[in-house]
Amino acid sequence: MNDHIVKAYDNELKDLRSIVSRMGGLAEEQLVAAMKALKELDADGAWHVRSSDRALDQLELEAERAAIVVFARRAPVADDLREVVAALKMTGIIERIGDYAKNIAKRTLAVHEAAPVVMPLLLEQMADEARRMIQDVMDAYVHRDADSAMEVWERDEALDNLHNAAYRQILARMMENPNQIGALTHFLMIAKNLERIGDQATNIAEQVYYTITGIMLEDARRPKRDFTSTELVEE
Amino acid sequence: MLDMSTKVDPMTEIRTPKMAAKDVNVFYGDNHAVKGISLDLYRDEVTALIGPSGCGKSTFLRCLNRMNDTVATCRVEGNITLDGDDIYDPKIDVVQLRARVGMVFQKPNPFPKSIYDNIAYGPRIHGLARERADLDEIVATSLEKAGLWNEVKDRLDSPGTALSGGQQQRLCIARAIAVNPEVILMDEPCSALDPIATAKVEALIDELKGRYAIIIVTHSMQQAARISQKTAFFHMGDLVEHGDTTQIFTAPKEERTRDYITGRFG
Ligand SMILES: Nc1ncnc2c1ncn2[C@@H]1O[C@H](COP(=O)(O)OP(=O)(O)OP(=O)(O)O)[C@@H](O)[C@H]1O
Ligand SMILES: [Mg+2]
Repeated sequence: MNDHIVKAYDNELKDLRSIVSRMGGLAEEQLVAAMKALKELDADGAWHVRSSDRALDQLELEAERAAIVVFARRAPVADDLREVVAALKMTGIIERIGDYAKNIAKRTLAVHEAAPVVMPLLLEQMADEARRMIQDVMDAYVHRDADSAMEVWERDEALDNLHNAAYRQILARMMENPNQIGALTHFLMIAKNLERIGDQATNIAEQVYYTITGIMLEDARRPKRDFTSTELVEE
Repeated sequence: MLDMSTKVDPMTEIRTPKMAAKDVNVFYGDNHAVKGISLDLYRDEVTALIGPSGCGKSTFLRCLNRMNDTVATCRVEGNITLDGDDIYDPKIDVVQLRARVGMVFQKPNPFPKSIYDNIAYGPRIHGLARERADLDEIVATSLEKAGLWNEVKDRLDSPGTALSGGQQQRLCIARAIAVNPEVILMDEPCSALDPIATAKVEALIDELKGRYAIIIVTHSMQQAARISQKTAFFHMGDLVEHGDTTQIFTAPKEERTRDYITGRFG
């Protein structure tokens, strides 16, 4: 895309983008750290994740301020408008991802205090998948790659399937080991958190896709389905 | 069978344009200023013409009421209709045409006459009022529609040129609507006005759009976004993109449109 005639405008947008990608990176780190602490039942690690969450909150505020300045100063339109609105929404979403990571850390501490229980393997797979979704959608954002954003959006189903499997696995373990129900309930909630992180990654994908193309991701996919359904009716 | 009755989209219903330009080309001598432009203009709708300086907005606008006739070097080709009638037909009365297609200019240009006479002039020469009372009525309602009545009703005899810039511009709009036009052309009507006078003119345009087809040239992207339903982007004599204003200002299809409205090098 061509540069703005007013260079300061480009810089303001660049700053905003950089806050968003820093937040994405941080959220990913938080998730990785939370899962590591969970796997190793490392209380210090979990505490660290809890206190690091503040950085994400700070960055979100920073992004909000920067966006408001752009609105007031530049009255952005077209691609710029989509860019600023998406940045605002994305920072909100990423902050939520941070909250889920923080919640995993909180539950790690609870599991640690109760009887230590081995983490179900599927949770690790889920976390890997969720982390890759965040990484890939943030890459799509940085490289303005709409196709990759859509690809992340479509991957959510795989994570949902893993979640279902993890859910069943944990339930089975609950039945086998009623004495571990307390800890296993935390794992159940952690699985849910990971699944929600995947949902948030798809929300980011929607924002990225719209910023780049100006088309709502849902709309971009809908025509295909609609055509097939009308064709079926007419034949 | 599909039930088609539920599928009718009111937006695609066929409407007849108030004015239609088809493949309009304008030359000033060798300068090809407007290149094959086709554009439909509707009642109930404000169309904003935007584009860089010299891209042919004013030239195109002036074709719509044949103001270009007065420029000796100017040649207009193509077809422009008002309610389906060719406005370049030799049988057309140009004075009558300009009453139906009124114009408001960038700089307010009241006649050096009283406020009253500024409004009464048009209706008089077009024989719209038989008696003084009719004329009084037209003057009052035109000033009311233009949102100026309360400010000037006690000094209709003072010169129009003694009003403030914003008031003068609304006086010119009142003058344009006094002859019952069907289309109003505005060429940067707010460029000399402060934000409050601009807001008043914009509020007025909003009010008027139900009765007239309004075409406005503006260099303010925000103004185009605020007041128009359709936007046409001109570039070096070409019509690059024409569509719903919301679409143009959120997701323009053409790169040149994007670069222009976002202030990028293009
Ligand atoms: N009366 C005229 N005689 C000769 N050339 C003219 C005349 N009016 C306009 N032109 C030329 O036609 C082209 C289009 O001019 P026009 O005034 O329509 O542009 P515009 O889009 O209204 O620009 P602006 O935003 O500066 O008002 C320019 O190249 C201009 O020099
Ligand atoms: Mg002009």
